[in-house]
Amino acid sequence: MSGLFQPAQGGAWYIRIVGALIVSAILLLALMNVPRRFRKPLIGLVTFLGGLFFALEFFLPTHPMPTPDSPDQVGNFLTPYVVPFGNIAQVIGAWTVGLGVINLMQVHGRRLLKGTSGAFNSAAFFLCMILMMVIGILYRVHPNAINKNLYALLFNGALQSLDATMFSIVAFYIVSAAYRAFRVRSVEATLLLITAVIVMLGQIAVGQWLTHALPKNLHVEIVRDWILTKANAPAVRAVAFGLGIGGLAVALRIWLGLERGSYFEEQG
Amino acid sequence: MEHANLAVQILLPLLSVIIVLTILTARRRQLFIRRIQGLTAIDEAIGRATEMGRPMVCSIGLGGIDVPTLQALAITSYIIRASARFNTRAIVPISDPTAYPIVEEAVRDSYLAEGRPEQFNAEDIRFLSNRQFAFAASVAGLIWREKAAACFYFGLFFAESLIFAETGQQAGAIQVAGTPSTTQIPFFIAACDYVIIGDEFYAASAYLSREPTLLGSLVGQDIAKGILILIVLFGSALVSLSGVLGNTWGQTFIQMFK
Repeated sequence: MSGLFQPAQGGAWYIRIVGALIVSAILLLALMNVPRRFRKPLIGLVTFLGGLFFALEFFLPTHPMPTPDSPDQVGNFLTPYVVPFGNIAQVIGAWTVGLGVINLMQVHGRRLLKGTSGAFNSAAFFLCMILMMVIGILYRVHPNAINKNLYALLFNGALQSLDATMFSIVAFYIVSAAYRAFRVRSVEATLLLITAVIVMLGQIAVGQWLTHALPKNLHVEIVRDWILTKANAPAVRAVAFGLGIGGLAVALRIWLGLERGSYFEEQG
Repeated sequence: MEHANLAVQILLPLLSVIIVLTILTARRRQLFIRRIQGLTAIDEAIGRATEMGRPMVCSIGLGGIDVPTLQALAITSYIIRASARFNTRAIVPISDPTAYPIVEEAVRDSYLAEGRPEQFNAEDIRFLSNRQFAFAASVAGLIWREKAAACFYFGLFFAESLIFAETGQQAGAIQVAGTPSTTQIPFFIAACDYVIIGDEFYAASAYLSREPTLLGSLVGQDIAKGILILIVLFGSALVSLSGVLGNTWGQTFIQMFK
């Protein structure tokens, strides 16, 4: 059994790929033909078994299990299967990427055929997708200087730069959001403004210079640290406690099939 | 691999048992849940979009198939059901492809549950990109182009949260947000009309559906939080006392949680 999870080379690699595709196709067909009333119990069973595996692996007593990569690793008899089971989720995820791409092609294909107002954007989408796909495949199959440079031009030169541009916009949005948040409209907004001014002044040299003549406990950087560590951090941790418990409750409901009333059936 | 330490081995099963027990007992009792302003605003926002005859954008964030995203999907399902009743269009942009089929199915089921399957439009469930800022640009463009009247942000968000919320603000949309990402809550508070904070995010499905199971789960969560507060108070007192008496009780207690 554990041999199935070891990396394969040569002919065995091809056999496994073909075998996995055949098994996946059979599974997919079988799942598509499951009667609707059995789908939720089936999903519930798979969810329960998956959750049980990871819960047992987490809670069962451990003993040293050194590996060449991590000599200090500890684990139990389920630990060697954690990564292979995690890979199953990745494989399922890889299948769904195809679904996402199909959805994109449907939306933009229809818009392009109808010639509606967004048709130009849809044409740009198809052009970029095909170009990136062709150059990406060429780079993997023939990694020569031309393909490498073309790929770098598209990925680093275009995609990464566009990402960085969008991220940069956050700076401007922070200013406009801060302006609205800091307007003195109520006691709470005034407190927020005063606190923000102290924290911001505490971050910069000018602010620290302004208060250097005062007693040490009134230095703006000391007050800033007090606000961040004694007022802000406990509040955030309290929120995190609530979130942790809330997450645990939702996870338990889903794991044990107790979830109701949202995307699951109602109790009536 | 991470494994449970002593404190987790005791606390996690204890809190889990409490939550499950309260769920089971709550099915026989009527429970009260306080008003949560941000969740009441959801209906207000849907009503506004309906009056204006413009669509709503419901983002479930960047998460894949995880607990926060499933919770976000539960809230989104409620919004979709309400929008189906009022014949208001709802667009759901998706970033993680693994969530796409689940969201599509949940949205389809929501329309079906309201007896309006013909209103379901597969093109309104849009996978945009799994790259964070490409997704941010796409959603921002979507809000502008579709002139969204209401925007809902429930789920896991990161740096793109402010891009969404500021775009919605500039587009004049009424915005409601809720996220377990504590670092993004301030951005949402600055740019959205209503924000649900902390575990209100996980209370949302109970508040909206009023299902006994979910309400019971909330009671369990409150008891669990009470236990954690007691542990924090006990720990603080013990560490302080150890400092005064000069013994190692406090350090031993802290080590249990490491």
